[in-house]
Amino acid sequence: MRGVSLEASPTPNQIVTDIRPDRGWLDLDLGAVWRFRELLQVLVMRDLQVLYKQALLGAGWAILQPVFAVIIFSIIFGFIVRMPSEGVPYPLFAFAGVLPWTYFAEAVRRSGVGLVTDAELVRKIYFPRLIMPLANVVSPLVDFCIAFVVLLIVMAFYGIAPNVKMLVIPFLMIVAALLALSIGLWLAPINVRFRDIKHTLPFMIQIWMYASPIVYPLSLVPEQWRVLYSLNPMVGVIEGFRWAVFGQGEPNFMALGMSAGIIVVLLAGGLVFFRRMERTFADVI
Amino acid sequence: MNGDFAIRGEGVGKRYKRLIKDRHHDSLRDVIGAGVKDMFASKQEREARQEKQTFWALRDANFEIKRGENVGIIGLNGAGKSTLLKILSRITTPTTGHIRINGRLGALLEVGTGFHHELTGRENVFLYGSILGMTRAEVAAKYDAIVDFSEIAEFMDTPVKRYSSGMYVRLAFAVAAHLDPDILLLDEVLAVGDFAFQRKCMTFARRLEQKGATILFVSHNMHSIKTMCERVIYLKKGQIVFDGPTAEGLKLYEGDSRLADAPWFRDAAHAPLKFTDVQLLNDRGESAGVFDYGERMIVRLKYNAHQRVERPDFRVGFDRDDEVSCTTYSTHSDKIDIPFVEGEGEIELRTPPIKLVSDLYVANIVVRDPTGTMLAAQIGGHFHVRHPVLSAHAYGVYHEPGEWRVSQGAMPMLSEAANDRRR
Repeated sequence: MRGVSLEASPTPNQIVTDIRPDRGWLDLDLGAVWRFRELLQVLVMRDLQVLYKQALLGAGWAILQPVFAVIIFSIIFGFIVRMPSEGVPYPLFAFAGVLPWTYFAEAVRRSGVGLVTDAELVRKIYFPRLIMPLANVVSPLVDFCIAFVVLLIVMAFYGIAPNVKMLVIPFLMIVAALLALSIGLWLAPINVRFRDIKHTLPFMIQIWMYASPIVYPLSLVPEQWRVLYSLNPMVGVIEGFRWAVFGQGEPNFMALGMSAGIIVVLLAGGLVFFRRMERTFADVI
Repeated sequence: MNGDFAIRGEGVGKRYKRLIKDRHHDSLRDVIGAGVKDMFASKQEREARQEKQTFWALRDANFEIKRGENVGIIGLNGAGKSTLLKILSRITTPTTGHIRINGRLGALLEVGTGFHHELTGRENVFLYGSILGMTRAEVAAKYDAIVDFSEIAEFMDTPVKRYSSGMYVRLAFAVAAHLDPDILLLDEVLAVGDFAFQRKCMTFARRLEQKGATILFVSHNMHSIKTMCERVIYLKKGQIVFDGPTAEGLKLYEGDSRLADAPWFRDAAHAPLKFTDVQLLNDRGESAGVFDYGERMIVRLKYNAHQRVERPDFRVGFDRDDEVSCTTYSTHSDKIDIPFVEGEGEIELRTPPIKLVSDLYVANIVVRDPTGTMLAAQIGGHFHVRHPVLSAHAYGVYHEPGEWRVSQGAMPMLSEAANDRRR
């Protein structure tokens, strides 16, 4: 099922398509994804339109979810446990962790189950299947942006001004998106065949959250475990996010570097795996 | 090397895994279990197992479709028609072979796939257009024409979940109709919508045809195949058994589909009675496939009842090929009491003069018990009714001349033919 090639032909711009059995592991055909970029855009738009149409509160959901998490964490960890929060008011500290995490969790969840949610499309229509997890990772970014505005308001409430370092946030979000995508590329094909993913995903995400410095600071992790701990690629992202928002200390380059390395490996493997499994999606979904 | 063809397939095959019972999804445990078993199996054992667990939905299909040709793909359920369409539309990949497609291909495997219920008609036009492969700019440019074609302009800002199924199909088809492909794959889509809209769709297909588009049409509806295609490819158990003129192909297909289990009868495997032969004969006792309007038909059935069946009601029904039930003859309603049947036997129906209009029909043969429970249902074969003028388009299902009294200025007509000419 190789791509569409343009060849000299009697009719100008005649499209010639060759259909063959799939073979090879490294045949990623990313060109096809590029040709279908408009579909990506349309699917993202669809997700947003649907989300904000179905929900009574509309954009409110994007705010409520992280805000409630922050309130609960602030009561339990900030007020009862008296968790240290590196000199920042605890609610703000938690918010700066919950925000990128909420995006990441949602992106992983959607890209993990997206193919099955849109099984009808997969069964009946051709498009490069990679478009699906891509769209699933992009659409929650809008929720993130809305919630980010709330963070700015909360910061203003605590008298903390935005700073220049915040310019790295888009970069950090790209890292988080790539990580979510690479996880989704592994989970989605498995979910197509086994459907177990849908049920295990929520608690996997829950465990992962507590393995990331969201409700507690990285400094609480014993020194000798830090390297091992930073194998979790979200550590670099969340620490980077806090650094960008509060501007204290040095960015954790070690953690970010490890994040990047792990993401590259996961993503490359995920792409190959996804493409390999893609050929049977329509048959087994 | 782009010849004159639109599609050329060489040795195209698709192998599927056999599904275990009704389960669509493997459990992880089964897969691991099979994997472990494989590790200890010899190569032959592995291959034998693979052979047993897989089947060829399509095997070694070779075909070439010329530009501008309209080709019907026919075959019973599970013959490989949908598999072929899925491969052509790139939804799934072939296991073997190679297909080359010259031109932009549009596939309408099911109208409206991709519509989202929460979105409005307008939003769905753009969504569906992109899904079918149009650019946003293209959809925007054709938007007015699409809305116009759909005839539901006033509902474009209503979420499609509030649409009737007719409106839904209209809008979906309207988008698809503006795809403007060089090659169009159609799967049963024309079978939906009301009559007027169906005609519109047919007109659309004709227009596309005139523009030189190639159309591949999969249908169970032999009537549509007959009117749209000059050539058919007949698939049987995954293989192309016929590729040629429509009339010939349909004849072959009709012969094969005789006595097939009726697709709507679920208990075929446990039927206490089975028909072993059916013959459609004209009044002279000759086997026939075409009957003139007004001719009588003899339906001769042979059956084998493995179990004793008490008071069976034998029924012969004629359905128009687009599945409109036209008439049914029944031993019960004709007051023929059969105390029981057991073992082999024969039964014959002589119909009154057939007053169905000119069209293609299928004879269903059914046995019910006195409570109405269906005991057997088979397809008894296809036949045409011939009349120079009467057709479903103008006369409905059946026709009989009436008696008229006209008070003013009427002249008695000379003949029936003159009457027909006037219309």
